[in-house]
Amino acid sequence: MNPRHLNARNMGIALAILALALPFVLEGNRFLAFVFGMVMINVLWASGMNLLYGYVGLMPLMFAGIAGIAAYAMIYLTRSFGWSFWLAMPAASFGAALIGVLLGLPSLRLKGFYFTLCSLVIQTVLTLAFIFFPHFTNGDTGLNQIAPPEWFNGAPLAGLWFDLVLAIFAVAGAAFCAWLVPTRLGQRFIAIREDDVLAAVLGINVVRNKIIAFFLVSLYAAVGGCFYATYVGFISPRAFDVLTSLNIWLFVAFGGRGTIIGPIIGAVILAPIPFLLQELQAFKDVLSGVLIIVVTLVLPGGIYGELLRRRALRRAAAQPQTGTTAAPRT
Amino acid sequence: MSDATLLILASTVSTGLILGAIFALVAAGVTIVYGCVWLPNASNGQFFLLAALAAWSLTGAGWGSALAIIAVLALGIVLSLLLEWVLIRRLYDVANRNVAYFVVTLGLTQIMSGIFSLTYGRWSDQFTLPPLVAGITMIGPFPLPNNRIAVLVIAFGVLAALFALLRYHRYGRALRAVFQNREAAALRGVDVRAIYKLSFLLGSSIIFLGGLLFALAYSFDLTVAWTMSVTAFAIMIVGGPGSVVGALAVGLVFGFTQAIVSIFASPTAATFSYLAAMLAILLFKPTGLFSK
Repeated sequence: MNPRHLNARNMGIALAILALALPFVLEGNRFLAFVFGMVMINVLWASGMNLLYGYVGLMPLMFAGIAGIAAYAMIYLTRSFGWSFWLAMPAASFGAALIGVLLGLPSLRLKGFYFTLCSLVIQTVLTLAFIFFPHFTNGDTGLNQIAPPEWFNGAPLAGLWFDLVLAIFAVAGAAFCAWLVPTRLGQRFIAIREDDVLAAVLGINVVRNKIIAFFLVSLYAAVGGCFYATYVGFISPRAFDVLTSLNIWLFVAFGGRGTIIGPIIGAVILAPIPFLLQELQAFKDVLSGVLIIVVTLVLPGGIYGELLRRRALRRAAAQPQTGTTAAPRT
Repeated sequence: MSDATLLILASTVSTGLILGAIFALVAAGVTIVYGCVWLPNASNGQFFLLAALAAWSLTGAGWGSALAIIAVLALGIVLSLLLEWVLIRRLYDVANRNVAYFVVTLGLTQIMSGIFSLTYGRWSDQFTLPPLVAGITMIGPFPLPNNRIAVLVIAFGVLAALFALLRYHRYGRALRAVFQNREAAALRGVDVRAIYKLSFLLGSSIIFLGGLLFALAYSFDLTVAWTMSVTAFAIMIVGGPGSVVGALAVGLVFGFTQAIVSIFASPTAATFSYLAAMLAILLFKPTGLFSK
């Protein structure tokens, strides 16, 4: 039994229990409960971003755009056709994930900087499209009074129970990643990240696996987008612009990409900051810009990656004859 | 053709030339740095805006436009040196540094845009500089402000000087050698790191100059930064990363596109078309139109 694996699993289970218990603890304080709910949405988003950035090695800056497509589609379905949220959310998410795959298809050949630039261009086009198709999006003004999902008896989901639903989805999202990574599919993702030419030579269908990854990451983005819209009750193109994508990327990179726990740590530490700096939104931009630079230059493995690296170094120092491979690639 | 049509035509041509020259300048700055250092500077639009805003502050404090321009260029060089020393040189030896640089400059973009909206964003939402040269020249029946003629002359003069520098000067030859083959250039005795530093300095200064010229010719707001970043990247990708000729040609085409589209539709439509062009090139010919 690998003790590190056991350790990460225990940590994950502890975090899951904490996430499911906190809505009950925070019930009295609406502000903290709201911040908690936002953190849960961001944990879901960060876990999804991590699938592509951490495991396949591609940085999808159109992430927020996909979330926006799903959110607008979900609202359109509920408002114009009277669909229930629980029908509209999966439908819109599935559709948005397919769009994510379609938008990703042409960039299959691209890697590294060119993939990232391509996704940035797509994100910019999507943001412009949100502004210029006001029939669906109400343009820059945004849509407000978005109805929350309904409870089984038809009453709107609110307060404690909405927070709990968000916690369940966040835990399920992270748990799905944890389940996926050791499977053959997850291992193929890692092989592509390490060297896609070598992976292809070994018989891995790089294109098909990338498409699966695009679908999964877009699905995470989309589900998070639908919950974001209903939880906040207001969306505008600003909510789904490139800064949002970069922020979610920062959660993953800051926490530790290519680990299950890392993105969760990143989202939990960084996602509440905007709510604590309400008067100074622009200051938040400065802070996250500084963090982006610091993470890239000083902490390429993120907090959790650095922790694992140091632990591996200590272990290697303790037993010099057994070489350790526990440290993730940075 | 009626006089009105001719007037629109003339103003389109002059706007196209000015915008095209400024686009070409900024894109040349970006493409030189990318071709040489492998640094895709996503914050080029913020540099551009910083120069414009600094000139606005200085002229607002009573400085003459010419003096303000020189001061801002000097400031730009100092800031670029500082940035190179603090950030840029740390990644010179990283293998896949273009992704890292892209992310770092996106972070820089966020820092600078945050600072601008905390400071300048509170003072005004539209900024105008006093003209460099007063008066109006009649070209045939068309009035053209001398100020814009001056901007045009400076822009094309700098572009020509840049060409001469890259083609004939020792530094330009070394820079092109590094473009083509870093290892071979190093073996032939070129100090690659020094060339990186010089290129970053040169590229950033040209971007600063582009911002100054834009501010002289047009009034601007804080959103110009992001538009410029996107446009410069589109020009670089379409023209071929590292190709100064490509930057010039595509920059002029984009400038005229913007001038023509702005007559019929909003400038956003022009931005859309740049993005579409960049996407098409990225997908079908990632090396760009003018690369060898």
